[in-house]
Amino acid sequence: MNSITWGCMYMLATLGLSLSYGLSRFPNFAHAEYITFGAYMAFMFLTMFGLNIYLSIGLAVVLSALLGGLSFLLLFKPLKSRGASLIHLMISSIGLSFLIRHFLMQVFGGGIQSFKIIWPTISIGPIVTTPLLLAILATALITAISLHIMLTKTKLGKAIRAAADNPELAAASGIDLNRISLFTWSLGAALAGFSGIFLAMRSSLVPLLGWKVLLQTFAITLLGGIGSFYGVLIASFILGLSENIGVVILTWLGLSADYRSAIAFIILVATLIIKPEGIAAVARRRA
Amino acid sequence: MADPLMYLLDAIAYAGIFGILSISLNLEYGYTNLANFGKVAFFMIGAYVTAIMSSLKYPFIASSLLAILIASVIGILTSLPTLRLKEDFLAITMISLGEVMKLIIKNETWLAGGVWGISGIPPAIVIPGLTFRDRLIVQIALIYSVLIACFLLCELIVKSPYGRVLKTIREDELLASTYGKNVFKYKVQVFALGSAMSGLAGSLFAQYIGTVSPYMFEPTVTFTIWMMVILGGPANNLGAILGAFMVEGFQRSSRLIKDYFNLPLDPVNLQVMLTAILVIIVVFYRPQGLLKEKIKPYEGKIHKIITSKLMEVKSWIHRS
Repeated sequence: MNSITWGCMYMLATLGLSLSYGLSRFPNFAHAEYITFGAYMAFMFLTMFGLNIYLSIGLAVVLSALLGGLSFLLLFKPLKSRGASLIHLMISSIGLSFLIRHFLMQVFGGGIQSFKIIWPTISIGPIVTTPLLLAILATALITAISLHIMLTKTKLGKAIRAAADNPELAAASGIDLNRISLFTWSLGAALAGFSGIFLAMRSSLVPLLGWKVLLQTFAITLLGGIGSFYGVLIASFILGLSENIGVVILTWLGLSADYRSAIAFIILVATLIIKPEGIAAVARRRA
Repeated sequence: MADPLMYLLDAIAYAGIFGILSISLNLEYGYTNLANFGKVAFFMIGAYVTAIMSSLKYPFIASSLLAILIASVIGILTSLPTLRLKEDFLAITMISLGEVMKLIIKNETWLAGGVWGISGIPPAIVIPGLTFRDRLIVQIALIYSVLIACFLLCELIVKSPYGRVLKTIREDELLASTYGKNVFKYKVQVFALGSAMSGLAGSLFAQYIGTVSPYMFEPTVTFTIWMMVILGGPANNLGAILGAFMVEGFQRSSRLIKDYFNLPLDPVNLQVMLTAILVIIVVFYRPQGLLKEKIKPYEGKIHKIITSKLMEVKSWIHRS
């Protein structure tokens, strides 16, 4: 149960990164800050302005989407059109991430904050759970299904897949790459913001919230195959599960459970050694 | 630091240490196009190896040599899986390496003092009976002799045939391999050398400030070093040093502002935000940095001809 909910959260956090990476061909290190941003926005609306919880989450997600879209429009799109190299794109995404993080630190302070929501426990049969975990599950499930439908059935979804596959060909067949990218970036940031809210509700709210899962999101992106939607789905659950198993092994070995994120690093390096294209490439060859 | 002279000397020493880091990144990024986003990991390894060795009463020379060795070995091991792939894979792996290294140091209290770090590292050169200021000057002399040595080494490398191969790899890997150069081998060598220099810088850092803790090695350090190279001018060693001085000066002065003015902003946040904005502006408007790379006229011409020929060949391969 624990691994499944972690898997769900990782999935929400990573989907946007993987899709925008596949489409724009560079890793957006600022993606982690969208996660933090979403969480802080929800915190602001909920505890500072005293809004309804659903409304706050909704507003936070919309603002995250706006941030993602704006960072593409104002920073990465002009940089790309100036012919910036891959390394320049990466360094400016790191710059953006520091900018967002320290802006949040400035506004909300660097300390630990909490949503102060006490979740009642519900037991369904033998499983004891909380409404939060159920909400995470439901959100992930709805996101996965609706994204699946969007990517396979709608015109927009097909355009996204085509553009990620071969941008030149997609542009030649009349797909507006900028519009598609803008949409993907906003959607990805919205999902990241969502996952940030859940992450913060589950533990606590710190300015390093997103940075702490950066390693995991990149491990999932590479393991799943860059830009692959189904790859992310599978890889998030693999990581969620292996982290849980890993923690058991770690305590058995007498090591600190803090090494949890080192598991993601091991998976990342193993992927690079064995199959840099990720799960998606393996699946494609079989098909 | 009430005495402005001490503050200045301290800043000069810091700029020297960061100058070494900046030169090493310049060798990796400026000349060979390797995106090492984990500079802080190697810096940290160097500092911690020195700290641990000196707590075991080994002399500085031995501990710095070991620091260089360990940093370069870790550099080789972690870069091996990624150097055959595109730059972004190296970047992701290195940024993760920095986090994992910090994790190990925070948790292994028996080895590295955990979150408290290690203190009481003796300086490399101990001359009895010196004032605080004179000791600072001795430190600066030590740091700058290492900096000059690193600078000369890198200049020698990039001006040699070896350096021309590196620049060819940067421009076009395929071109380098058509000349029969083992691109992978060159990249690993450059990475090992860059890591070794970062390790040495870490070693100097540890003996200079006398104490190390995990909180000194945040990812912002990596970003600062990148800032120095990008601002100063990639593929120009003097530019890298100039960048180190400018960024250090900028950060120091923003810290000074905090002492004299009452700002509504937290100075650390302000400093990082300004640095980030500056990086983005430089990447936008002057990606070649303040000091441009010096290209000999014939090198440029030959390169242009070869590249155009290669493009023809490539398009032929593509068509067939």
